[in-house]
Amino acid sequence: MKRWLLFQSVTANLGLLAVLLVLPFALEHLKSTALMASQILIFAVVGLGFNILLGYTGLLSFGHGMFLGMGMFGATLTQLHLLRGAFWGPIAVGTLCAALTGTVVGFLLMRRRGVYFSLLTLAFTQLFFTICYRWTDVTGGENGLSGLKRPEVFGLDLRSDYIFYYVCLILLGACVLLIRRIIDAPFGRVLQAIRDNEVRAASVGYNARRYKHVAVIISGTFLGFAGALFAFLNYFAYPEVFHAAFSGSIVAMTIVGGMRNFFGPIIGAAVYVFFQDLLSSYTKHWMIFFGLMFMAFILFSPNGMMGILQNFRNRFRSALPDAAAAPPVAAASDPGVPAEVPNRRVDPALLGPEIFRIEGVTKRFGALAAVDGVTFSVSKGELRSVIGPNGAGKTTLFNVLTGNLAIDGGKVSFKGEDITGLEPHQIARHGIARSFQILSIFKDLTVFENIRVAVQSTTPHRFALFTATDELTAINQEAERIVQQVGLGVLRDQIAMNISHGDQRLLEIGITLAMQPELLMLDEPLAGLAAKERIRIANLIRGLAGEHTIILIDHDIDQILNISDRITVLAQGKVIAEGTPDEIKANPQVQEAYIGGFDRKHLVAHPPQRRTDTPLLEVDRINTFYGKSHILHDVSLTVHPGELVCLLGRNGAGKTTTLHSIIGLVPPARGEVRFAGRPVARLQPEQISREGVMIVPQGRRIFPNLTVEENLGIAAIQAGRNGRPVVWTPARAYDLLPQLGRLRARRGEQMSGGELQMLAIARALMQNGQLLMLDEPFEGLAPTIVEGLWKVINQLKKEMTILLVEQNADLALSLGDRVYVVNNGKIDFEGSAQALIEDHELRVKLLGV
Amino acid sequence: MDLTTLLQFFINGIVLGAIYVLLAIGLSIIFGMIGIVNLTHGILYMLGAYAAVSLTPYIGFFPNLIVAPLLVAAFGMAIEAAFLRRIYKGDPALGLLFTFGLAMFLEQMVRLIWGTLGIPFQIPAALRGALVMGPIIYSKYRYFIALCSVAVIGGLWWFLEKTRYGTIIRAGSRDPDMVRMLGISLKPVFTAVFGLGVALAAFSGVLASPLAGVEPAMGTNTGTFAFVVVVIGGLGSFWGSVISGLMVGEVESFCIFFWPPMADASKFALMILILLLRPRGLLGRRWERFE
Repeated sequence: MKRWLLFQSVTANLGLLAVLLVLPFALEHLKSTALMASQILIFAVVGLGFNILLGYTGLLSFGHGMFLGMGMFGATLTQLHLLRGAFWGPIAVGTLCAALTGTVVGFLLMRRRGVYFSLLTLAFTQLFFTICYRWTDVTGGENGLSGLKRPEVFGLDLRSDYIFYYVCLILLGACVLLIRRIIDAPFGRVLQAIRDNEVRAASVGYNARRYKHVAVIISGTFLGFAGALFAFLNYFAYPEVFHAAFSGSIVAMTIVGGMRNFFGPIIGAAVYVFFQDLLSSYTKHWMIFFGLMFMAFILFSPNGMMGILQNFRNRFRSALPDAAAAPPVAAASDPGVPAEVPNRRVDPALLGPEIFRIEGVTKRFGALAAVDGVTFSVSKGELRSVIGPNGAGKTTLFNVLTGNLAIDGGKVSFKGEDITGLEPHQIARHGIARSFQILSIFKDLTVFENIRVAVQSTTPHRFALFTATDELTAINQEAERIVQQVGLGVLRDQIAMNISHGDQRLLEIGITLAMQPELLMLDEPLAGLAAKERIRIANLIRGLAGEHTIILIDHDIDQILNISDRITVLAQGKVIAEGTPDEIKANPQVQEAYIGGFDRKHLVAHPPQRRTDTPLLEVDRINTFYGKSHILHDVSLTVHPGELVCLLGRNGAGKTTTLHSIIGLVPPARGEVRFAGRPVARLQPEQISREGVMIVPQGRRIFPNLTVEENLGIAAIQAGRNGRPVVWTPARAYDLLPQLGRLRARRGEQMSGGELQMLAIARALMQNGQLLMLDEPFEGLAPTIVEGLWKVINQLKKEMTILLVEQNADLALSLGDRVYVVNNGKIDFEGSAQALIEDHELRVKLLGV
Repeated sequence: MDLTTLLQFFINGIVLGAIYVLLAIGLSIIFGMIGIVNLTHGILYMLGAYAAVSLTPYIGFFPNLIVAPLLVAAFGMAIEAAFLRRIYKGDPALGLLFTFGLAMFLEQMVRLIWGTLGIPFQIPAALRGALVMGPIIYSKYRYFIALCSVAVIGGLWWFLEKTRYGTIIRAGSRDPDMVRMLGISLKPVFTAVFGLGVALAAFSGVLASPLAGVEPAMGTNTGTFAFVVVVIGGLGSFWGSVISGLMVGEVESFCIFFWPPMADASKFALMILILLLRPRGLLGRRWERFE
């Protein structure tokens, strides 16, 4: 197979070379000129150089004409004024001008992020255009500069278009090889990692801004070189190359050829030049047709002609029987028999010296202190866990410590050095590696390359421009070792985005490990995994402690108690307890934090509501996917009018996804949802909402830029449209929740967590629907507020049907009539709340509490 | 150089700036709601101007202030419904690319239909001449531009802040899915917002057309300045657009006074200065959806 591929690529390259060798003659035969052949070559390098940014770094520039123009004018001015009759000198100066432009403009471009890059490049090229157009004395203004001469080099008379073509072929061929080399070098791999996931690239220690800046310079340099040759081709430098329209045609030809394939821009250049030549003899408005073609590609095949070819080839291949020779995507994380977690916790007295210390760390979001003066220290080799109820501020704390969020107060030190307020990549380079709660991997790279890019970040080769990464033995061996260590050997060459969720979790840890960090910060590595996989990964983590220092966030209390040396407990952004697992287990404050200061006297089983026969909501064996991960498996549940039904389960079990499937935000792929007897699974969220489904989403999602009144007003717009009476008005909401009445003119961004939650409930009520879905309403609230909110929900359940998703089982059970427990996307239990309140053992088994 | 001359150039800056403000607010509204920087904006501004030039012989100048924006908005909404809608869910770069391609195409179409040369255009008779206020003598038509812009900007602010539709637009620019979960369909809102932004561009095109006539390059030029304005003011910020538009207008106006050949370059210089001093822009705030 490999030999066949090699053969294919050799024939393809030889074929391309043969075409290029006879191109000028062939074109002449087609009543065109040898000049055009040279133009194709030059534009091919322009496209390839531009694609270093677009295809490999993910930066869309609308101003690459400025680099080409600098090369063009730099070379022309040099030959006209300094080195008369010279060839190499002017080309060198032109290229240098472009590189310099890349350095200065690139610096300014890096001051802004995201979509501004494209706008700024456009603005800069227009700036150059303006200057070039007006500075007539030097640039010739509108007329450009003529008088350039092609001299004799090495005894070759460049005035012959054929000789000029072959010189171009050699020079530009060298450029192509060089670009290829840069893309395959560690530097180029980092660019691709940044393209896929900039935050992750920073977290493994790459200064993304610097890499992007260098990419701009390199890309610009190639364009400058091409521009200098272009000047010699035409004997002429003209200002239009600086105009946005010219930069646009660079973008267009690259897209038309295909930005996701190395050779795409070459094809694009050929098509563009050919098209121009063909059409411009019929009409001077030929750009109309090219523009149309470009738009068609954007709409129907953003990966251009090579994309179409690839699709076609894939289809053709899969029709062949031997296509199955490619290994199927097997699940590597099928653990077989899980080993026992080695319970080798260390006596805290025996732990090493302090290595990591945080003092008074604080992070505020508007009026909300998400992390509030947190202080603790971690010893070398320790496995420290940070736990706390949802919304306690654990992930925010991590984000502050790793520089992903700006710190508002306090001090962080590592090995005695102050690292407060450093950027993520700087913190990573101190030897602190993190994993992310929401999977963060390089999705378009293979498993092996994901790891390798992280490994190379700690080596001197991380900025190597011209070394082939495949030849760096030490890096490859280390990457190989880590792939094996996390058990992904079978999946080594699969694209990360195609492997299963569990395997992606392993890859996430692998990337973190690959940096050889002294301190590992793992954010919910067990979330959303099956029981066996949880044990397997907990096992892996415990095995890493000692050699590494680890700070671990997770919700799996069983595993945490099992493997941690010490535990820090957060609630409402503050540390409320710290100690060994046994101390934490016995700490009454911790238990109170977990049940949210909830008075257990409320926890009395009450007889379930009398049910009518027709359910209000019927979820019938739905299956829901996020991308390729299968999240819900045949989930069924019913809610009858007047009931309060609880949906319980661990983090990542599929509770929120179930609600999102009901409201239509993530429609189920299979199965049906019926509301008041009508199928709604294929409807849009707004249609389902109008049927009478109200939601108080997780995290509240109050519009931060709207006042309380406006937040309520926007929800009331659709009220009463469905013929249902309007019983909830803002006035009545203010009655039920008096504190909202006092805040009418306040914007969402200025409100505290408790106030936001009340507003979210009031907002849902304004819709005057029939079913109220509450997603973790108690999350992150102080005990006194929990008490108040409990009373509000208890009040509401007297007059409406409620589906309550909650992690805090006690709170939910005290309110609920019936209960469903969801686990790994499947319904594990269905019964009365009473049954679960009375059967403690069952609760522990289902919910781990 | 006396004080009255300076004052005249100052007023001139406001008038120039007003056009940029209208363009930038249109760009900002579209970007905030749809997440696409409309690179066709300058071309649609030009279409507004060409519409005014073409329609004036039949309906006179003033009705164009309503008719041209409506026509261009209808065209823009058709584009949104037919094409842009298909790419909202894809890579955000597709929106940039598509609108850029559309701009290339439309500019060529303008050249094809109206010719590559500029068409001179006259200030309507009613507003020709100058208004004398004490020592300040200044063009009536330019006063008219300033007045119209203030009215439109004020009306727009009222619309966005005080009406139900404005509330939906502001909410939708922050959390579109939540708006949908409140029973509000965003499809028509997207189309309407695109139409509104485009109408603003066309309106400023109509206002600008009598100043220097129309020509096929005006779209790309003025459009680029609109991008410069949003880079300075920060995308998605209403008052950022207003302040930065006026600043750019003033800088241009005084540059015309002191060093005319560099009047265009001066706007870019201001942008570079802001990039160095305040990388986020004047009132720009971190907007998670787009960074």
